[in-house]
Amino acid sequence: MAEPILKVEDLSVDYEVGAGTFHALQDVSFEMKPGRVAGIVGETGCGKSTLAHAIPRLLPEPPARIRRGKIWFRGIDLLALPKWKLPLVRGTAVSMIFQEPINSLNPAYRVYDQLVEAVRIRKMRETGRSPVLFTETKPHDYSQTPSPKASEVLRRPLAPTLPLGRMRRLVGFSRETFRSDVLEYLRLVRINDPETILNLYPHELSGGMRQRIMIAMALSEKPSLLIADEPTSALDITIQAQVLTLMKELMEEVRTSILFISHDLGVIAEMADDVGVMYAGHLVEFGPVDEVYSSPRHPYTKALLRSVPKQYKDDGPLPSLPGSVPNLSALPAGCTFHPRCPLAQPVCTREPGPPLERAKVAQSPEHKAACYFSEEVESLT
Amino acid sequence: MGRNPSDLVVFVGKRLLQLVAVLFGVVTITFFFTHIAIPNPCNVWSGPRATEATIQLCIHNNDLDKPPLTQYFSYLSKLVTGDWGTSPLGVPVLPTILTRFPQTLELVFTALLFMILLGIPLGVVAANNSGRWQDHIVRTFYLSGWATPTYLGGVILSIAIGPALGLPRTGAFSSFPTFPEPFHMSVLDALVNLNFSAAVDAVLHLILPASALAFINLGIATRMTRTSMLEVLPMDYVKTAKIKGLSDFLVLYKHALRNSLISTTTILGITAGGLLSTTVVIEEIFVWPGIGAYAYDAITKYNFNGTIGVVIFFAIGVVVANLVADVLYGLLDPRVEWR
Repeated sequence: MAEPILKVEDLSVDYEVGAGTFHALQDVSFEMKPGRVAGIVGETGCGKSTLAHAIPRLLPEPPARIRRGKIWFRGIDLLALPKWKLPLVRGTAVSMIFQEPINSLNPAYRVYDQLVEAVRIRKMRETGRSPVLFTETKPHDYSQTPSPKASEVLRRPLAPTLPLGRMRRLVGFSRETFRSDVLEYLRLVRINDPETILNLYPHELSGGMRQRIMIAMALSEKPSLLIADEPTSALDITIQAQVLTLMKELMEEVRTSILFISHDLGVIAEMADDVGVMYAGHLVEFGPVDEVYSSPRHPYTKALLRSVPKQYKDDGPLPSLPGSVPNLSALPAGCTFHPRCPLAQPVCTREPGPPLERAKVAQSPEHKAACYFSEEVESLT
Repeated sequence: MGRNPSDLVVFVGKRLLQLVAVLFGVVTITFFFTHIAIPNPCNVWSGPRATEATIQLCIHNNDLDKPPLTQYFSYLSKLVTGDWGTSPLGVPVLPTILTRFPQTLELVFTALLFMILLGIPLGVVAANNSGRWQDHIVRTFYLSGWATPTYLGGVILSIAIGPALGLPRTGAFSSFPTFPEPFHMSVLDALVNLNFSAAVDAVLHLILPASALAFINLGIATRMTRTSMLEVLPMDYVKTAKIKGLSDFLVLYKHALRNSLISTTTILGITAGGLLSTTVVIEEIFVWPGIGAYAYDAITKYNFNGTIGVVIFFAIGVVVANLVADVLYGLLDPRVEWR
């Protein structure tokens, strides 16, 4: 089994605001295998976005406070990194796509200027011109370096000239390399007329177009981990389908690990290999998406799946879960789900919340659930 | 979609046409204020020991015995042809103002430079550390500048801080310029004449009055920058800039500040116009040979022509400063259309 690319351990995040302390994440632990797509699904306010933002350390601190936990990314604990090293992680190692394409591009700069920044950062790091934290260690092969040809030696000037060309080569690359790179990534996200798009400002583009550009920007840095925080939720339904199809196709082409956040069970089923279900700041179930959907091991997952509308509305009102999501500043004692759980027993209130561990009677060892009675979930209707 | 450069030309043209209307109004108001408030300035102009005959002669020479409207139209017709009249002592107004106005511009531009180079980064630092000690220090600093009355701040700088730093206090230049003055701006003139010691001297003389002018108005730039940075920093595009892997400096000053500057520019435009009138006090304190000191002199000595001339230049300054701010506004924000 390959080393996990991302390993989140006991991550707990609070928001300290005037009204009190809100526990947005409580002891969230999961692993992501390289090259796989992990989905995180849950209701609004369950902590999905907080989790997504905590990984590249994008949470505004304050009001957010990371209480404890570790985020192991390729052997480095991101939470232990000093602030000034964070830009080295972002972009080429971890990149992210946000929910609102309307706001995620800078209104003051042309599309080209925003894309070229990403390309430049990647090229500078790839060629070792700017410092990096993660290097693809390849042994240097000297046979690759061509020996100077006689013609070149002859062409070299006898007297030293101002090293302007050399400086330019050291500092950056020519404009053309950048431009062709930017165009290549715009074509990758299926933009028909990239030459025109380059010179436009974000406000001259549609939402779907802007989200494509965001995807191009993220991919142009070739990140090892791409976090997509509800990338299609703010788009209307036809554009949503287009962008999802595009992302699905790109997953085949780019082969990067993706953490896909969504509130839409259908989207997750379509996109993800693994799925994590979140409830009130807790990761209550995690496992291969087929298995979690076909035989959920947590009563919340079961209830969530049951409330998905079927194709025809013929069997009465949609089943819904009694009660409502608890206030994150005053979580119930024990398992946070017990007030709404049909399986709840006294132990669920008395004991601290059950840890996320291998579900009993689950098929695959990867399937984990945080419930004392995970074997009884099947019996629920 | 998009904007044409011709939009900008039309926009500037329209605004300059408006300037004519503004100037007409300003001249009219100032003329009637001065002439109605002091209907007979000849008592002062002729001096304390003037005889009745001298005063009558003065009244006759200055058309003060004619009805105000007649006076107004004859003044206006001369003004348009470039004859701005003379001071009571016979010094022509327009050439005096033309030699003194650039000196004031020099002062105002230096103060604006201080406000931009110091005020805006301070605002960025305060917003980026909002609620922490850096923020409190910056806010105390600019509020104390803001709360200080102009004359008090000027006097403190001129008699306490200036000498303590060894800066020259008055407008008396150590080496009185003996070179031609094409611009009537001490630093530029010295540089054009390649007289570098005079240029250094001129810069040293500029520092105190310019910082007095800047310190008082710094708060506006800092506060505006801080407030709009606080609005911009939580935006998604700032997160986008961060997730690209850009350094904190680029995220703050390239991506966030660019969008915050839009409101700061507007405020700076208004302030720049206001700075002109603040120079009246500052130039008196620092004996700066600019238009502000001249305005003070003209008003206190019932120099009507001088007063109206100064007011015209102040009005031009205010309108042009706002125009520049509006043009910059459009350059900073591609979504703005010049209308």
